[in-house]
Amino acid sequence: MNFIKKYWAIFQITLINSLAYPGELIGRSLMIVPFMWIFYQLWKVTFAAAGADTLNGMTLYSTMWYLMMAETIELSRPRLANVISDNVKDGSIAYILNKPYNFLLYQFSSSMGETVFRALMNAVFGGIVVWWLVGAPPAATGWAFALVALLGTWIMNFCIACLIGLSAFLVEEVSPFLWIYQKFVFILGGFLIPLDFYPHWLQAIAKALPFAYMIYGPSKLFVAPSVDLLANILSMQFVWIAVLGSILVLSYRRGVAYLTVNGG
Amino acid sequence: MNHLKFLLAIWKANLQSVMEYRVSFLTQVVGMMLNNFIYFAIWIVFFDRFKDVRGWGINDMYVTFGVLASAFGLVSLLFGNAFTLGDIINNGRLDYYLSLPRPVLLHAVSSRMISSGMGDFTYGFLSYAVSGPFTWDGLLRFVLAILLAAVVFAAFLILVNSLAFWMGIVSSFANLMLNAMITFGIYPITLFDNYAKLILFTVIPAALMGAVPAEYIRSASWQILAQLLLGAAILLGLAVTVFRSGLKRYESGSAIQVEV
Repeated sequence: MNFIKKYWAIFQITLINSLAYPGELIGRSLMIVPFMWIFYQLWKVTFAAAGADTLNGMTLYSTMWYLMMAETIELSRPRLANVISDNVKDGSIAYILNKPYNFLLYQFSSSMGETVFRALMNAVFGGIVVWWLVGAPPAATGWAFALVALLGTWIMNFCIACLIGLSAFLVEEVSPFLWIYQKFVFILGGFLIPLDFYPHWLQAIAKALPFAYMIYGPSKLFVAPSVDLLANILSMQFVWIAVLGSILVLSYRRGVAYLTVNGG
Repeated sequence: MNHLKFLLAIWKANLQSVMEYRVSFLTQVVGMMLNNFIYFAIWIVFFDRFKDVRGWGINDMYVTFGVLASAFGLVSLLFGNAFTLGDIINNGRLDYYLSLPRPVLLHAVSSRMISSGMGDFTYGFLSYAVSGPFTWDGLLRFVLAILLAAVVFAAFLILVNSLAFWMGIVSSFANLMLNAMITFGIYPITLFDNYAKLILFTVIPAALMGAVPAEYIRSASWQILAQLLLGAAILLGLAVTVFRSGLKRYESGSAIQVEV
């Protein structure tokens, strides 16, 4: 029980920290507003040009709410890779390593504390704009299913972001890995265009990789909730968490074995 | 002329500084080019499915993305501190520039080179190269459009960050405006109605960084070039005026700062 309590306390501290500067929190969250507005312009014109209310099973309404959820997930991601990379590069990782907690679990609790309110604020601002543009949000089942899948998304993102951050043990600069990861999420995750609009061969590739279960999964569940889809998304998330989590633990152990800290 | 010599000296020093870590420099350049390519693939998928948006096709996107990426890269390379000018003002780091006999704004914004900018700058040319048949006058127009779009972008960054003289911490707001500028700049201008276009030419002048330069490259119209020149000159004038006016309010805690 104590084991959980200390990580819960870390989560709470970061959560409270994230509320210390409400102006900053709101300022960041407002970023979703122009994005949703521009998406609306793009998809309104696209649906009108196609002369159809439904394209590949998606309507303008479901596309917009899908994109709201996708944006909320992406814009709420904490800057974990940069934090860990800085920890490794400036040696402050040594300060965390000698504390009575697991480095990875510490980072997970801390990043979750940072994510929760940011996600909430993004969903509120994004939701208001989309509601105004296309109408009321999907039914409660959509919210509930998406929320369950969101937890898997956050864990998967944590594993990948940590791996990128820990690559600082080997390379000087991790930013390029981070940019490329972000762009894979954009394309293969269905962040800017729902995967339903992709050609079949690209959909097959995307669904064989983890990114689709981080963005497309929860967002699709939000607008078209079904038990079958939920089971599929959760099982794939479970598989990817097991794979990515194992790689992360192994990489972390190897990285720490190489660690040399000079001075204090 | 003196200012140009000063700028060349500072850019040379910046280049030597970033080249000190060659692997890191190259990683960032190649990484940014790859990043841009993957990002652009979204539009390839989109136009493969929907063909065009009110007459705007994939080739128009190549040109728009090209000019936007190269202009962004040029500002990152030559005026890297324009992105964080608000923090410099807010943290009292202008003291250093004020104490030297050089133009404060020019010195402050040009004192940093962002390595990844080289990746953006180069990628823009590649994007332009695949947009259609090559012509020398087309390339010349592309280069001119990049220069003017870079002036627009740098002026916009200075303008937004100069609000720190009055508002204090503006990093979130500046980031929001930067994202809006880039996001709106890359989207087809034909998407927007007249009210939105008014915003994109004034409050967030993204059209002057993406759609208008792209239109000039495609049409070779003197009228559009004149519009672009006028827009860039007005924005630059406004940015310098606002910075100078804010500088009169500047105060610092005489903190000891080291500028490297």
